[in-house]
Amino acid sequence: MGIEALALQGLCIRLGGAQILHDVTLDVAAGSFTCLLGPSGCGKTTLLRAIAGFAPLSSGDIRLGARSVAALPPEKRGTAMVFQSYALWPHMTVVGNLTYPLKLRGVAKAERAARAEHILDLLDLSGFGERKVTSLSGGQRQRVALGRALIIDPPVLLLDEPLSNLDAAIRRNLRGELRRLQQKLGITTIMVTHDQEEALSMADTIVLMRDGRVVQVAAPQSLYTRPADLDAGRFLGVDNIVAGRAEDPVQATTLGFRSVEARIAEASAANALTRHGTVLDCAYTGGGYHLQLDTGAEVIAAVSGAPIAPGSEVCVAVPAASLMAFGPDQMLLPN
Amino acid sequence: MSDPLAMPKPSAQLRAMLPGLLLIAPAILAIALLYVVPLVRSVVFAFVDADGGFTTAHLATALELYRRDVIFTVLVALASLCLIAVISIAIAGYLTLGATPWAVTVLRWLYRWPLFIPFIVAGQTARSFLARNGLLNSLLIDSGLMDPATAQSLLDWRGLVLTFAWKQVPFVTLLLAGAMASVDRSTVEAARNMGAGKLRCLIEILLPQVRGTLSVGLILSLVTIMSVLSVPMMLIAGNPTMMTSMMAHRVTYYGDYAVANALGLFSYLITVVAAFVYLRMTLAQQPENGR
Repeated sequence: MGIEALALQGLCIRLGGAQILHDVTLDVAAGSFTCLLGPSGCGKTTLLRAIAGFAPLSSGDIRLGARSVAALPPEKRGTAMVFQSYALWPHMTVVGNLTYPLKLRGVAKAERAARAEHILDLLDLSGFGERKVTSLSGGQRQRVALGRALIIDPPVLLLDEPLSNLDAAIRRNLRGELRRLQQKLGITTIMVTHDQEEALSMADTIVLMRDGRVVQVAAPQSLYTRPADLDAGRFLGVDNIVAGRAEDPVQATTLGFRSVEARIAEASAANALTRHGTVLDCAYTGGGYHLQLDTGAEVIAAVSGAPIAPGSEVCVAVPAASLMAFGPDQMLLPN
Repeated sequence: MSDPLAMPKPSAQLRAMLPGLLLIAPAILAIALLYVVPLVRSVVFAFVDADGGFTTAHLATALELYRRDVIFTVLVALASLCLIAVISIAIAGYLTLGATPWAVTVLRWLYRWPLFIPFIVAGQTARSFLARNGLLNSLLIDSGLMDPATAQSLLDWRGLVLTFAWKQVPFVTLLLAGAMASVDRSTVEAARNMGAGKLRCLIEILLPQVRGTLSVGLILSLVTIMSVLSVPMMLIAGNPTMMTSMMAHRVTYYGDYAVANALGLFSYLITVVAAFVYLRMTLAQQPENGR
């Protein structure tokens, strides 16, 4: 079917009186990997289901390439979705699951078998074709679900938290595998996740969502270093929020930074935010120590290479480049 | 007393089992007295002649007189089961996949009604509905869909099949709709996502996952159909008819329990086949469900 771009225009979804999505507009470039990231309940899965046709729109349009698919039933849209629960058909074998979509498209039996074989190879599942899907492990099921979606050569691949049911180690492996596969096939992919590490490591573009709205659309690096507002920053691991002072290198109502950027300094460093405080707690985190210190006005989390006894008076410094400045409306200030 | 180690063991075991035995005794007794004894008796008496000797004469008589009825019964039962299966799948499928909420609600409310109507009332209703000058034909003639000259009575095998189906569809639908509702919804969504229409989802995705429940419903319906007396008595006057009315006839008018028992034997055989299929199927599914 070829790779196509996806455009969402003013998408609104209302379910039983509650507004789930508010005016979502988004352009997804052909061949890109986009992550929908946000806390649970932010509407990211609903957005994905809306693209697949399972969540009826109250208003707005969904365009796949040049055609509008908003009015089409799920089976006519041609999107391929991988479900969080994998949703494999338990009454079919692995090959049965893989070839059923082809059967629906009237592909001849010999060709179906050949394509299933190719997909099994691609996903490192050779020899599993005749197994029942109920006898597979979680990771294997996940691959079959992915293979079932890829076998129809869809214009858009939709992934609904595909890795969330797996062990941490398998998840890390599959993350890279999935990304490589996506780049190899060049397929337009949209993945829902609540795991920021997953989104940062896999996506070309991250769509940050909150309360049914798109908060920010950005590349991983710029999202990480320049979150749109204070809440987005908190969600992306900005764990220190301090009130700005006149002597700070960046002038703002509120300054944010991550604890990894806050280091113990001997004296007030130039072009850096410095705060003095009492160490409340010092915990070993492997490779370093994590400190909590009380500056009187706020509690700051920082890191240190060496242990520091609680009660000690220390100075912590954050380089100006690592600071995020937020205005009184909590929005990020331009540099 | 000579072997102090061996003696207490069995009695202790027995004592441990006693509460359990007491607990299940009433159930076992009821099954034995009300079910097993009459069953064995009727099977035995099908093979016992007037002098108490073994004979196959009753069986031969039953076959000779009622062979057509046995075949008729089997065909009517199979036709009813087919109709029940098709309609139940359609209703349960619509209840599960239907996209029009009000239609689903109305159907959910309507389809159970026949469950609460006894067979004898169903037979009576069917009689006045399906007769030559019954309600069905009147409606068809009044609406101009049928020429009065071609009106015919449906009070034959067709009436039986329709009545059995009408009475048993709600029961099978109830089981089936429950099973379909508990199927992982995303398996259906995955199929639709891959391009399957709703009918294909029903037949190729939902139905295979509730196959067991459908068979249970149909087997239980078969047993019911094989044992209902009132419907064939009320719907069919002539020959051939269902085995139940022939057994009743044999007992009521001739006091001939032996041939009635022989006929009963055929009913057992038919239901035993169904039970065997059912057990085999549940045993085959066990390893998967046990996971």
